[in-house]
Amino acid sequence: MKDREEVMENVATHEDWKTVFSELAPGLVLFARQWVRSAADAEDVVQDAFVKFWRRNHKIDNRGLLYATVRSVALDLIRRDSRRARREREAYSDFEQAVEPQFRTEDESERTLALAIDRLPHPQREVLVMKIWNELSFAEIGEALGVSQNTAASRYRYALTALKKDLLPQ
Amino acid sequence: MSDFTEIENELKKLRPIQPSAQLITRVERELAAVESDQKVVMPERFRTKWVWAGVGLAAAAMLLLFVHLRLDRSAQPQPKIVATSPPQQLARPGASVPSQARSTIVPPEFVPAAATQVVYRTEDEGLLFPTGSDQPVRRVRAQMRETLQWQNRTTGASLRVSYPTEEVRLVPVYGQ
Repeated sequence: MKDREEVMENVATHEDWKTVFSELAPGLVLFARQWVRSAADAEDVVQDAFVKFWRRNHKIDNRGLLYATVRSVALDLIRRDSRRARREREAYSDFEQAVEPQFRTEDESERTLALAIDRLPHPQREVLVMKIWNELSFAEIGEALGVSQNTAASRYRYALTALKKDLLPQ
Repeated sequence: MSDFTEIENELKKLRPIQPSAQLITRVERELAAVESDQKVVMPERFRTKWVWAGVGLAAAAMLLLFVHLRLDRSAQPQPKIVATSPPQQLARPGASVPSQARSTIVPPEFVPAAATQVVYRTEDEGLLFPTGSDQPVRRVRAQMRETLQWQNRTTGASLRVSYPTEEVRLVPVYGQ
């Protein structure tokens, strides 16, 4: 992700969607996983959202809008599902258990951290995922979620505070 | 935010699981299908292409219009003026006009070909009682343009007269 700026510049000039998509896909899928249970569903959401975004001729560096599209497609998927009532109940009232961000954990400390992230309230985890693994600015996060930049920053601070408290119990 | 540097660094070490290789293939296939349907244009190029397409279409339309007008003017014989008379003296096509009068107004080789009446304005001037009547009527004024056309079947020449007319109608009003 360190070359993200370079990739964005490349996209702006050469429209190489494959390069930028490869760069963004892991973060996008992780973001989509907050609403759907399986990686396969998350990939479906990302695919639909990216194609939709591309079709509408939005600038690819408008990441706030791209993530808003992913979020919108994911929520549409939940609503359209034939088991709508059950899925929505799981998605909204039991959100914390239903959503599991997927990480490659290599040791116990990473697994502990991943579990701590899972325990975060959904609004905080949403901002955390966009900030840490997608490198969005608070302005972009605010645009994607439809909240103010300050609200996004506050949620991020709450998330980090909660994680610190969770990992280093007094 | 400096208090959070350590936890942020820990978080950044966590790597999301990579999506399947099929994801890119699927997106590629989807975008190719869209492009083959010509439903999508690359974002940066879209506006420019659209603008140029619009300019091109407009230029083509202007050219066609110009050519059409020129051809129309050169191919169509100029109407031959065979009589100049006040409109009210002309025989209306289809109207019963004494044959003697007709022969003096419109040359006999011309036969009625068309008559149109276009109402372009009507105005309701309200209710009134005509003299000697106790029933109200509504006065409606209509402004129209009538066009009459005759044609010489031998030569194809046509005579067309167009003039404005005004008509006032008194429409009886009946109580409920």
